[in-house]
Amino acid sequence: MVESEPLKPKPRPIVRIGIFLISHSLLVSVVCCTAGVLALLLLPVLAKNTYISENALVPGSSHPMLTSQDVSEANKFVREINNLKPTGTSIGISGLIAQHMVDLGAEVCYHKFHPQLNKFHPLQFFSGPDSGIIQENCSCSSYGINTVGIIRAPRGDGKEAIVLVTPYNSVNVSPGEALSLGIASSVFSLLTRVTWLAKDIIWLAADSQHGEYASVAAWLRDYHTPLFGGLAKLNAEMCHESIMLYELKKSLVTGAEVSDVFRRAGTMAAALVIKVANGNEEVEKDTLSIYAEASNGQMPNLDLINVVNYLAVHGQGLRVKVEKFSSLLDSKWLRVLGETFESLGKVARSLNPQWKFGMPVADYIEGTATLASSLYHQALGVPTGPHGAFRDYQVDAITLEIAPIVSSNKGRQNEFLLRGGRLVEGVLRSVNNLLEKFHQSFFLYLLTSPSKFVSVGVYMIAFALLVAPLPLAAASLYSDANKVDSSSEKDTFTSSSASVNIPAITFKSWNWLHAAKAVFIVHIWSVIITLLPYFIGQIPNCTPTNSLLIWVLLSVFCLLALRMTLGSSFSIISVSQLQKKEWALLKSVTISAAFVSLCLMSVINFATAEIGALLIVPMCLMATPLRFELKARSLRSITRAACNLVLAFIGFPPNAYVISKGLFEGFGSVNVGDFWNWLDSLRAWNSATYLYVCMVHIPCWVLCVYILLHHC
Amino acid sequence: MIQLKMERFFKFMVFSFFLLCSLSLCNAIASRSSSSSSSTTRHTNNWAVLVCTSRFWFNYRHMANTLSLYRTVKRLGIPDERIILMLADDMACNARNKYPAQVFNNENHKLNLYGDNVEVDYRGYEVTVENFLRVLTGRHKTAVPRSKRLLSDEGSHILLYMTGHGGDEFLKFQDSEELQSHDLADAVKQMKEKRRFKELLIMVDTCQAATLFSQLQSPGVLTIGSSMKGENSYSHHLDSDVGVSVVDRFTFYTLAFFERLNIYDNAPLSSLFGSYNPSMLMSTAYYRTDLYQRQLQEVPVTNFFGSVMETIHTDSSYRALSGRESRKDKIKMPFDPSASLHDQRTSLNSNGQQEINDSNKKDQEVACPFTRMMATFHDKMEKIEDVDTLVNYGFVLMLPLVAVSTWLSR
Repeated sequence: MVESEPLKPKPRPIVRIGIFLISHSLLVSVVCCTAGVLALLLLPVLAKNTYISENALVPGSSHPMLTSQDVSEANKFVREINNLKPTGTSIGISGLIAQHMVDLGAEVCYHKFHPQLNKFHPLQFFSGPDSGIIQENCSCSSYGINTVGIIRAPRGDGKEAIVLVTPYNSVNVSPGEALSLGIASSVFSLLTRVTWLAKDIIWLAADSQHGEYASVAAWLRDYHTPLFGGLAKLNAEMCHESIMLYELKKSLVTGAEVSDVFRRAGTMAAALVIKVANGNEEVEKDTLSIYAEASNGQMPNLDLINVVNYLAVHGQGLRVKVEKFSSLLDSKWLRVLGETFESLGKVARSLNPQWKFGMPVADYIEGTATLASSLYHQALGVPTGPHGAFRDYQVDAITLEIAPIVSSNKGRQNEFLLRGGRLVEGVLRSVNNLLEKFHQSFFLYLLTSPSKFVSVGVYMIAFALLVAPLPLAAASLYSDANKVDSSSEKDTFTSSSASVNIPAITFKSWNWLHAAKAVFIVHIWSVIITLLPYFIGQIPNCTPTNSLLIWVLLSVFCLLALRMTLGSSFSIISVSQLQKKEWALLKSVTISAAFVSLCLMSVINFATAEIGALLIVPMCLMATPLRFELKARSLRSITRAACNLVLAFIGFPPNAYVISKGLFEGFGSVNVGDFWNWLDSLRAWNSATYLYVCMVHIPCWVLCVYILLHHC
Repeated sequence: MIQLKMERFFKFMVFSFFLLCSLSLCNAIASRSSSSSSSTTRHTNNWAVLVCTSRFWFNYRHMANTLSLYRTVKRLGIPDERIILMLADDMACNARNKYPAQVFNNENHKLNLYGDNVEVDYRGYEVTVENFLRVLTGRHKTAVPRSKRLLSDEGSHILLYMTGHGGDEFLKFQDSEELQSHDLADAVKQMKEKRRFKELLIMVDTCQAATLFSQLQSPGVLTIGSSMKGENSYSHHLDSDVGVSVVDRFTFYTLAFFERLNIYDNAPLSSLFGSYNPSMLMSTAYYRTDLYQRQLQEVPVTNFFGSVMETIHTDSSYRALSGRESRKDKIKMPFDPSASLHDQRTSLNSNGQQEINDSNKKDQEVACPFTRMMATFHDKMEKIEDVDTLVNYGFVLMLPLVAVSTWLSR
């Protein structure tokens, strides 16, 4: 005995910790999951105040130079636009804008584009946007004309530029759009005079009759695709509408200066999309809404938001807000939670005044509502405005939507233009001071208010805690299954000859391959159903609900077909008595697959992974065969079965969508067809969330349901 | 025979001449090294090395600081050839500058620091730690022009002004390098050993400036920094027209002090150092005097920030040999105590100056014989009034010399 002990060395501590955790995986799972959810709820408390990280920006260090003369000219311009009779063509207004730009002394050109049909390019953001896709079958009748004005920096090197975007509907200009054009024009007229420009200024008046995003994206695509004598001529040959462009040029007094040549400035340092809300809602103070989310949850550098927020609040006295779920504001459970945190904070402060933990209830609720909205919009992966197109080219951009106080007073409009213009001027001057791209501050963050953020280092914790139990549970299930196998083998095979024993064990230890095969088949199926909506979309005159039904039916059909052909061995094993634990192996492999996909997704779009983990992790961890539970007939097993059923119900994507929508917006307007629309829009916007839902969530759900229905 | 004798005679003459020279040289060196070097070497000239170490538009104020100091020392009499101006970036021509080719240190824009007569010796990426140390130690590549060298000597008073972003025992250069306090101390030590200065005033306007001096050991070094360890140096005010801060507090109050002075004032260094008010500076100005022999009350600020040159009569070519001149005592006092001084402290100071001069005079009595001989010779030459006759005598003397030489060469 004494001799044998040193022969068996103790395993290393890390291995022992691992074994310990795996053996207590149930407890660890429960603790980690609750901690993960708690950490998520704590995020508004842990949010930090934003600060301007880049020294070079020095926002607000200079007096605004925009004078009332610039504003009155802009006001005149706004009146001209409003007085223009809607002619049904886009020519009048873009001609007017171009004329105005020329008068201000800028270089002007038109950019004619055809709106691109939505094509599904999943994961396009990995490869960068497609360059130079020329739509061959574009109809000549639908095209838009962007008007682009460029001010060259008098002493700059011409290598960098800042972009101002004002989308307007050229067919019918709304008063808000006219005002946004007015703001841009006032700033533009100032910038043609100043001496301090180091970057060129581009004013893109984007023709949004085919969508704001489409026009900006088309311009950006052409900006970044050098074509040598190509596009303009091509279009001219293809479409006789270019004659109209020609007429447009001739109609101008100084038309010679407006060229058909695509003009460029340097690389873009930042872009601001300026919008003015049409004054539908009553506000007591001019309000600025900031929209920042671009495709796949990418955010512009936090410094850009900080600068805008700082200048709007301290410079122009605007009220700044970011989107939030207003329905969360009066939810009771949040209030209770907030009160708990507040009292906890008080206790902490009474123990040690240094601990600054906790915040007022109102702030907490506000922060949570904003955080939820931030998380949701990032998770959607659909840009919240035309600024999203810039992010695809690694340009930091945000949309500023200014809502004026509704009043018909003319002086009031002047003041509004002055404020808006000065805000834009301040931001431009600050960005003009930049020496490098925005890089100092965060790119990965969630906003809890315009001046508070949660950085990646903090919000990662919640996700890490949520997914940590997955590998542990998988390992524990696997080892348990093997243990049971070997013990049962002993029972069965002790009677039989020892020679059969050894190959049997090797056969059984590879048992998990069958489970892996099942998981693999389901994932292959998920690829098929990912592609299905494209074909369903081709069916004309199909209501969303019908499309959804077709999709579900086709999917089920595919699953059955696949099981018939490939998965014939799905349940072959069940003939033997070992199948008792087959579901455990299957669950283990399912959990591993879910873990890997969640981790992958967290790299692509963190918010999606976070929300997905909230749904998937409990579902995967809880899943046990219902029959197994019902056999036990104890209270515990019955509650477990009930939990399983509830989770599986919630986990079904349409249900999850309907329930969350109902919770936030009331169940009155809920329609199952909306889910189809939602999913289809995700597909149309090339969102990685679509892939996540189809290729991670649905197969996981199917596997969990399979486990629930497992016959053991 | 005669030839031989002549040769021997010449040899003797030459030998004795060399002997004389070397003796006097040894004497000079001995006398210099015996007394505690710097105090006896006379203040010969003033140099200023003004360094702005930071780039980028938002560091406009550092360039403005340096240019303001440049203007001040120039106004107080240090000529451009004795100022090494190092500017790490060109704010005047930055595209973001609202006033092209102009630099201001005040929002009233009364004074353009970047006028026509600014000579920048090191600009842009030339301002590196290496070049800075080369300037101090004088180890240049041969191609470096004289205008970019610090050609100081053992009697020089040097003002070294540095501004930029600093930290605990370092000063950042160009956003890429650092000058550490050890580097600075080493360079100063080398300067001391190479007799490149008599007195050195290091003035630093950075965050935690005082830490930069912690390693200095060389005597004759006086240092002042804008802030203590752990303190920041703040900018004084923002010019909202230009859009950046234009001057740092420490430099601003330094300039405010000098604006009241002209070249003839002899306010002592103690009054400058005492003028820094920690509440105005928002940091504590720190000065280190333990390496500096003289009392701060006795040293006029113009000893460093100005160039109060003493006019010395000719025979400078022999000064290198002797170490001191016969007419040294004829220093023109740059200021007249009775006229300009009412202050007890300053008059005390001038008395001290007088005493030093007296002692110098006493030193003169025992000057080396060679200088004395030359001096008497010079005096006699002065007395000769008729130059023409002297020239004629000279020609007559030439004839036998020519004759002898032709005879010898035959």
